[in-house]
Amino acid sequence: MGGLTKVEIDFATSHLIFPTLIGIILLILGVVLLIIRRREVLGAGTMWRDTFERMDKLRFFGTLLLTVLYFVLMVPVGELWPNTGMGFLLCSIPFVALTGILFTHDRRLSKLVPMLIVAVIAPLLTWWLLSEIFVLTLP
Amino acid sequence: MDVFELITPLFVALVFGGTFVGLIFGAIPGMTATMAVAVCLPLTYSLGLENGLALLLGLYVGGISGGLVPAVLLGIPGTPSSIATCFDAYPMAQRGEGEKALRISIIASLGGGMLSLIALYFFAPLLADFAIQFSYVEKFLIILFALTVMGALSSNLLLGIFSGFLGIFLSLVGVYDVTDGGNGHFRLVPPGTEYWLESGFSLLPVLIALFGVSAILEEAETGMPQSMSVREIKVGKSSRFSLSIFKGQIRNLLQSSAIGTFVGILPGVGGSAASILSYTAAKTTSRNPEEYGKGSAEGIIATEAGNNALTGGALVPLLSLGIPGDSTTALLVGAFALQGIQVGPLFIGNNPGTWNSMMIAMILANIAMFVMMYFAIRWFAMVVAVPKHILYPVILMMCVIGAYTINYGIMFDVWTVLIFGVLGWIFVKLKIEVAPFIIGFILGPSAEIYFVKSLESFGDVTIFLTKSWIALILWLLITASLVASAVLARRAKQLEALAQPGV
Repeated sequence: MGGLTKVEIDFATSHLIFPTLIGIILLILGVVLLIIRRREVLGAGTMWRDTFERMDKLRFFGTLLLTVLYFVLMVPVGELWPNTGMGFLLCSIPFVALTGILFTHDRRLSKLVPMLIVAVIAPLLTWWLLSEIFVLTLP
Repeated sequence: MDVFELITPLFVALVFGGTFVGLIFGAIPGMTATMAVAVCLPLTYSLGLENGLALLLGLYVGGISGGLVPAVLLGIPGTPSSIATCFDAYPMAQRGEGEKALRISIIASLGGGMLSLIALYFFAPLLADFAIQFSYVEKFLIILFALTVMGALSSNLLLGIFSGFLGIFLSLVGVYDVTDGGNGHFRLVPPGTEYWLESGFSLLPVLIALFGVSAILEEAETGMPQSMSVREIKVGKSSRFSLSIFKGQIRNLLQSSAIGTFVGILPGVGGSAASILSYTAAKTTSRNPEEYGKGSAEGIIATEAGNNALTGGALVPLLSLGIPGDSTTALLVGAFALQGIQVGPLFIGNNPGTWNSMMIAMILANIAMFVMMYFAIRWFAMVVAVPKHILYPVILMMCVIGAYTINYGIMFDVWTVLIFGVLGWIFVKLKIEVAPFIIGFILGPSAEIYFVKSLESFGDVTIFLTKSWIALILWLLITASLVASAVLARRAKQLEALAQPGV
């Protein structure tokens, strides 16, 4: 009986012991959840369809698209002026401005101007604080 | 280190600045204390541990307290911790007594925060002294206990535990570190991604994503609802506030603070539970329970004392066991990691200066919160109207730069923010709880080390049961938390069925 509980750890495969165990537990929990919540699982398609129907697609996907563009451009722009943090600064200003415009409901100039001022000042201030005062690496 | 050496002008300025920013984050619905800490985390990198913690603890106290402003004035909890504040403070504000409700909330918050600090000061070192005796076996069981408690207190036991284990699973991605006694081999890494995933997903970008980016995506999904207009916010002054309201409320204050502190000590439970439990207990023991829900000062005192007492309580397991008490203290683990310090049973003994500075920062943060809110409450009320279309793009930018600077400029960390931001949004849709997930993610690597080393040392799985009486007690606690949760869930279902019309 005592032999059943004995475990010998092989150093070469020790990296797989815990992930395998957690994977098995997750699988068991997943199956139990599937059985208990089968009605919700079967209705998942409807839930996602409703979510996408109700969602503000322009703002949601617009945010994702702008974020991806922001990340993609930051490094190449930064490489034009290495070690200056210009990639961050020059990409953040349009990113903050465009995301702000995307989020705004009332796009009259009087409403946009304060937001555009923030879009210039906030990245400038952050860039100055992080790169000049705290001497942190920026893209 | 002399305690007074710690209180430099910079230290005090950081506590006050942090509290101020935290109050703003807490006061704007949709933004939380956790988000405030996540966004400001990279600033602590160059500040050093004590000063960095001063800023973060200020943000923490301010963020939890700021939630009361929209709860009182709009009936919308600024943070989840203020959920029960709406029950009585909002009806009071609707009667034109907004200022009175705000002042009661602020004083109760100060009381709750300070009382929980006393518990923290005496309880954390005691628990740490006890925890020093723990071997790998007990340490592993403590983590298991933390996960089951989190699961048990989630809205659904199974989903809560599933979320915790999912967090552990994703924390294991990358190399089994040689410095932790591992063999240096990759696991759970798709082919071709070894370069980026050698160290797995970094903790801080994951935290920033789950608490910052996913919240913004949720708001974007609903079309970024417009903020209130300043003209719509009425503080009201028809009934003057007097300290005599607190006469006869000492028991309520102490009871609620004790509940809030206790809930804070339980890993992953959070402020909403602290506030609701304090409110329910105060109502049950009140002489005027019929007043609750109609603008009762007692109700406001209970909820605000309860949720602010959480702040001290949540630091107890973090500083004595290395287990975060809530999602905000989970971020503090990241702050310690940035400075190369591991929190756990040895932390207080090895870092008395940092421990003292944390206590001082917490006391100062509570005082700062009180001074700022009590004397400038009309200004803070206006914070509710700060437009989100201005704030959220700046926060997104801060999330990105925070993730980039944390590991000396790794672009993969920035992409991690986007990946986990979207994942966090999906989690909400699938009802996967973020708090257990994140605590699982933080504790996963330690759990692995303790588990594998226990087996390597003893070579028998029964060691987890037979190692010591502490191990046995931990198993009893694990079982009790699971059974209690199942019983409570069944009772809640029965009550729900009885409440159905026609039953």
